[in-house]
Amino acid sequence: MAKRRRRRKRGNLLNRALRSASLGGCEFRTLNSTHSLEDIFMAKLRVKFESGEPDRVIEFDPVKAPFHHDGRPGSILDILLGHKIHLEHACGGNCACTTCHVVIKEGVDKLSEAEDSEEDMLGQAPGLTPTSRLGCQAVVTDPNAEITVVIPRFTINLASESRDEH
Amino acid sequence: MGQPSSPSRTTYRATIERIFDHNDDTRSLFLRLPTDRKLKFVPGQFISILIPLGDEMLRRPYTVASPLGSELIEICFNRVPNGRGVGCLFDRAPGETIELMGPFGNFTLDHPPEVETVFIAEGTAIAPIRPMLHLAQLGKHAAMFLLYAARDAEHILYRDELDELASRDTNFHFETMIAKNSATDLYQLLHDEAARRWIKADTNRARQFYICGVGKGVTRIRDLLRGSGYERRAVHYEQW
Repeated sequence: MAKRRRRRKRGNLLNRALRSASLGGCEFRTLNSTHSLEDIFMAKLRVKFESGEPDRVIEFDPVKAPFHHDGRPGSILDILLGHKIHLEHACGGNCACTTCHVVIKEGVDKLSEAEDSEEDMLGQAPGLTPTSRLGCQAVVTDPNAEITVVIPRFTINLASESRDEH
Repeated sequence: MGQPSSPSRTTYRATIERIFDHNDDTRSLFLRLPTDRKLKFVPGQFISILIPLGDEMLRRPYTVASPLGSELIEICFNRVPNGRGVGCLFDRAPGETIELMGPFGNFTLDHPPEVETVFIAEGTAIAPIRPMLHLAQLGKHAAMFLLYAARDAEHILYRDELDELASRDTNFHFETMIAKNSATDLYQLLHDEAARRWIKADTNRARQFYICGVGKGVTRIRDLLRGSGYERRAVHYEQW
């Protein structure tokens, strides 16, 4: 843990120094002649479960995305699945259902903006909030992001639930 | 790293009763649920097939292509380069079982349309539209038009059925579009035809649309229609 803290501190210092430049993933890699930036930059994703399961915290390097193979690379779904945390994704992470609906409690501005397709789909999600996102579409864009997401108790499609087998 | 949380969804175990190859790369599986189980779906919805692969369980969505009331659930799919899930499905044989969840999705039509309705599809994306067309036969419906594109005539699926439907339902028409060559962008064809028929030809903006296909071509057509005066909620789409 102490090593991780040092990495984060170094990452934050370096990030501040470079903040005026464009910090896309490729440019990070071009700067690693003296530093292994892949080891330095770490984002943190805290996952809270309405179902009552204990919180989980993932530290990860967004540059290393994809972590799995469903959802957009670097998306919340991709990160969770890549770290063995299940988030339902009935459509395979293709923005065709709302089963990966999550609520962002912290770090909304560290995620990609929602496109029309996501907004259209979210409009049909049960339990919609102003900071709701589809896990498969919300990509972490800040290499030092600290994000907290809540997985609602019913991250499933309402139509499906009501029409399931009886 | 902890153990993955387990999903709480109800799953079904279905038996593959038969297989039908539409052409050299497109297949339908017909699935039978146990007699005491029934999948209640709305035309347009999909099921999520659980595909074990190594130490993980893939979830892959397949639209229910069969009309309401069918004895068997039909899913229709084609080979995809590097498609991990679909490759496994092509290896399955009659008598084998598969696990599925669902139904899911909001790209649905749950009653015969009361306003002029245009369906736009490419290739296997006809799957959700097929049960919608059948549903419309259950009552009086407004005019329906299907614009259906494929790279060749063999990839126009359910052709005989669509012909038969159009012959007995004077309020349903359909037209196919076939690629001129391998470089043809089918979605551009659909886009341009939609612009010609439903934007430039008249000022009627009371229609609704159901668009289904793969990739950004779907959203190009969506944006074309929404940007031309059609209500946002009248342009339904599903992009795979």
